[in-house]
Amino acid sequence: MELDKKPSGAKTIISGLIPFAFIVILMVYIFGPGSDLLDLGVPLPEITIEMVDFVDSEIHATVRNTGPIPVEVVMADINDRIQPAAVEPDRFLERYETALVRIPFVWNEAEPYIIGITIEDGTRFEKEIEAAAPRLQPSLELIGFFAIIGTYVGIIPVMIGLMWLPFIRRLSKNKYHFFMALTVGLLLFLGIDSIEEALEASAENLADSFNGILLVATVTILSFLGLHYSGEKLIQRVKDSPYAKPVAIALMISIGIGLHNFGEGLAIGAAIGLGQVALSTFLIVGFALHNTTEGLAIASPLAKEKKSVIGKLVAMGMIAGAPAIFGAWLGGFMYSPFSAVIFLSIGAGAIFQVIVIIMKWLRDENENSLSSASIVSGIAVGMLVMYLTSIFV
Amino acid sequence: MKQSSFNSRSIMIFSLIAVVVISSVFFVFPESIKAQSDEKVFVTHSGAVVRTTGEVIDPLYVEATMEFDPMEYLRDFDYGTTSPLPDGTTLREYTIVAEDDKIMEVSPGVFYNAWTFNGSVPGPTIRATEGDTVRINFINNGSKEHTMHFHGIHPAEMDGVFEVVGGGGGRFTYEFIAGPAGVHPYHCHVMPLEEHIVHGLYGVFIVDPKEGREPADEMVMVLNGLDTDFDTENNFYAANTIPFYYQHHPIQIKTNELIRIYVVNMVEFDPINNLHLHGNLYKYYPTGTDLVPSFYTDMITLSQTERGIMEFEYQYPGKYLFHAHKVEFSEKGWVGIFLVSDDGSNSEQETSPATGDATEYGT
Repeated sequence: MELDKKPSGAKTIISGLIPFAFIVILMVYIFGPGSDLLDLGVPLPEITIEMVDFVDSEIHATVRNTGPIPVEVVMADINDRIQPAAVEPDRFLERYETALVRIPFVWNEAEPYIIGITIEDGTRFEKEIEAAAPRLQPSLELIGFFAIIGTYVGIIPVMIGLMWLPFIRRLSKNKYHFFMALTVGLLLFLGIDSIEEALEASAENLADSFNGILLVATVTILSFLGLHYSGEKLIQRVKDSPYAKPVAIALMISIGIGLHNFGEGLAIGAAIGLGQVALSTFLIVGFALHNTTEGLAIASPLAKEKKSVIGKLVAMGMIAGAPAIFGAWLGGFMYSPFSAVIFLSIGAGAIFQVIVIIMKWLRDENENSLSSASIVSGIAVGMLVMYLTSIFV
Repeated sequence: MKQSSFNSRSIMIFSLIAVVVISSVFFVFPESIKAQSDEKVFVTHSGAVVRTTGEVIDPLYVEATMEFDPMEYLRDFDYGTTSPLPDGTTLREYTIVAEDDKIMEVSPGVFYNAWTFNGSVPGPTIRATEGDTVRINFINNGSKEHTMHFHGIHPAEMDGVFEVVGGGGGRFTYEFIAGPAGVHPYHCHVMPLEEHIVHGLYGVFIVDPKEGREPADEMVMVLNGLDTDFDTENNFYAANTIPFYYQHHPIQIKTNELIRIYVVNMVEFDPINNLHLHGNLYKYYPTGTDLVPSFYTDMITLSQTERGIMEFEYQYPGKYLFHAHKVEFSEKGWVGIFLVSDDGSNSEQETSPATGDATEYGT
């Protein structure tokens, strides 16, 4: 037995490696020296201005080579007027390499600027900034400011939403299912919302070569699978105690919403940091109204929990709401379009995974059916509520 | 069994994590950490001092040497090879070769496929006297068809429009009597015309009046633009092709010396161009066809191929700017400096280039 098994293991490994060896040979043949087999067409250089920072008497542009060939940054301009500049670390950019272009320029706050970068073949790439705003420097005051925004947008509305728990507890089974389905509707909306924001962020700030849509799809599905796997483990572990399953579901929901709110905080922080948005009280109110429904989503599964759940509820509210603060900090102080897309996609995947959990639970409760009036109308109302409150944002 | 399934699962999870970590490192931190280079300093026009560990890219104030030397072109006139004709007049022969495969550095680090007459943009300044017979042996060594079309008075078959000259060594001889006196452009007239002109197939044709003009320090300035990204908008403007060239290489002249500039506007895409002189006014002779100036001004407006002669003298020594008062053009390269030295002192003394001290710039 032992003798038989070992060679077969080695054989397995070798048979797995043979195709790889052929791939390597193919690559060497195509890209190897002296090979011009596939020299068709003209590769066009491309750079992307990913970020523009307005600092003291200077404008900083972060430039990435997003084309198929190396490029050289040779000139900078502001509003199509040539300016002297410095490129750090140097002007030669390999694929995906970035450089910081520092343009000394006495800019005026709130005015629009177009930053242009010219490369060695004379092609000019530009990025428009709607309103110049100084880059935010982390200070205690600003950290506090973002924390307050995060609290308003994340924690407070979620906590208010959780207060519906006693109300849901008094409901009949059908009405309760309605509210669980409502939660599904809310989450469905949030998930689509996250994906939309991720796609928007990638379209605005990421080069085509990152394949924005596929990046969002990949990260969303990976996030879904990761949470699905660990969520199942969590639920299996608490299987034995009958009343713990709702808690596990509520926890999964709050983690999903927390990831979503992290992305939302990131977007708000970035919008303030990049000066794209004058944050008005109106916007805060909009987010608060919108996010109150998230608290309802967490509260619903806990309705059948007999024990006192106040401690758990507060903890879950924090899990769901507090990430908005961290997101705002990260987005405001060290915004990167790439991380924004990633986090928004992770949030979307988390939410879809929660939807699957609740749907499964609802199906079990309804004799393997999802077409009862309470469920269908619940999902529909959830979507509608979210859409209507989203108009305020 | 349990053991093996655990193993395969952990291998799968491990490989997944490895892929995620490697790809995130690749995306998020693509720039490898580079060795610290020496710190460089540059001073902006407004006096701000910028220190950088990187590279300075400054076509405005940093002296740059290009393959094409606008300083040499400025006062370079091609009078041709002369021989007397039986009727007592003069024959001037020129050889002009057109090419369209030259990649030229037009601004520090910017390379452009220039189409050239005799290897440069603008082509050579062809100069003759009114009444001379001008014979141009034109050779097209380009890959496309080209011609030479002169502004001026000549027979229809010498107009360089319908007599298209094929590439790869095609030849044509243009022959006509130089006239009228003045300053004229010449350019390729093959369709698509805009493409052939903006790529650089143009130059200046000066016809001196028979009686001659007053001796002067004479210069040629072709006001042109470069659309390096082919979006029918100029990325650069200049006097004599290289942006900012006469700003970091000021044109050296003397006080009380007559300066005569032959100005030709070859800018495409933008309807007008203009020339503003600082600290002085010039006498302006539109097209140079009249010996009496039409204007005494410091600002004239030029449409496409509009041209003329400017004459002026500086009374005071110092640095004087000249530039398009369409300020967009001057901020994209069409700006220069006259460095006027005192003719009373030793005029041969070394004068430092403008880049040594803070360059003054104002309109």
